[in-house]
Amino acid sequence: MSDVKESFEPKIIAFCCNWCSYAGADLAGSMRLKYPPNVLPIRVMCSGRISPHFILKAFQKGADGVLVTGCHYGDCHYIKGNYITKRRVTIMKDLLKFIGIDSRRLKADWVAGSEGDKWARVATEFTEEIRALGPSPLRG
Amino acid sequence: MDKLRNYVKELLESGEITGFLGLIDDGGHPIPHLFTKEHIDRLNDLVVPDFRYPMTDILLKIVRKYPESTIGVMVRGCDDRALIELAKNQKIMSDLIRPVGVACSKEMAESCRCSQPYPREIHYGEKVEGVQDRSDLEEVESMDLSGRLDYWMGQFSKCIKCYGCRNICSMCFCDQCTLEDETLVMTGQTPPEIPIFHLIRAFHMAGRCIDCGLCEEACPAHIPLRSLYRKVREDMANYLGYVTGKDEYEKDPLEFLGSEGYEVPSKIDET
Repeated sequence: MSDVKESFEPKIIAFCCNWCSYAGADLAGSMRLKYPPNVLPIRVMCSGRISPHFILKAFQKGADGVLVTGCHYGDCHYIKGNYITKRRVTIMKDLLKFIGIDSRRLKADWVAGSEGDKWARVATEFTEEIRALGPSPLRG
Repeated sequence: MDKLRNYVKELLESGEITGFLGLIDDGGHPIPHLFTKEHIDRLNDLVVPDFRYPMTDILLKIVRKYPESTIGVMVRGCDDRALIELAKNQKIMSDLIRPVGVACSKEMAESCRCSQPYPREIHYGEKVEGVQDRSDLEEVESMDLSGRLDYWMGQFSKCIKCYGCRNICSMCFCDQCTLEDETLVMTGQTPPEIPIFHLIRAFHMAGRCIDCGLCEEACPAHIPLRSLYRKVREDMANYLGYVTGKDEYEKDPLEFLGSEGYEVPSKIDET
């Protein structure tokens, strides 16, 4: 059993907004910072564009964790997208917990375009957290 | 009952409303009927049965056909909450709708576990206090995570994808339904993909659900859908202080930032 756990590589979907987080992830690459290859970034125009249905779809298709990243409060290119995102993610986390999926598998964080180091740190920490949680119960 | 009939008759005859949507007894089965001035005698068949009917669903169909007429409609507490939400979402014009309120009996309120079994204005029946009961949520919350998942997956696996929950829902008025979107859920096959099929609807009910419970009554597989929607309804109240069906001018905080501007409630920031 312990062998299985050691060889477990989490699949993580990271939704990144075009203006801050994706730029941050890009910068992490330019800065030659290391972060785990388990994280698959998907670029969307704004974190407010991330429909809660996308998050559910990711879990349905076997993601072990979903990371939602956007601009810091007040920095949103569309002024208020990230505030709405935070509200949605909060409700979604509670709903996931209610049906029996660990709410730590969903996380929202804010990364600016200049924070390549923060992106690498967030991605690494989240991957390690999911690795410790083990495979998603919905993974078929 | 005569008082109600006379009240409706007065409204129709004075021309205040051009039609009244109520229920008539048709061989022992109450069915919806649009009463008009021309056939005023039909009002003798007007009934208030001991069960509920999705009145606002029918009302929406009438309003789409006659958008400029003033329509009266028989509403219970839940229908009245639906009217508020429909007006908020610009599906009806509230000044063209004249609700005729019916208060539910104590037995009905208890069997529905209804927290507000009376409309804003009551024209028939006596107002009784609502029932505050979250035992269905507590039952799920008493389980651990894997127990909850087993429970819900067991419930969801009973689904025959009849869309009954959606079709009866007074808050399901979208022109395009996510549950028929092939990029999100597999279409054209049964059983549905679980849990996404039910969770999409559950999340969509956040800031929408008026807690009437018709979905659960309609479900042929007896899936406790209402608990899911009650959960998101409770979350919306706890985290964002938003309760649906209360105020027509209060906007859904999942769609609008609202008057509090750009503050993030501390309860949310910690999650």
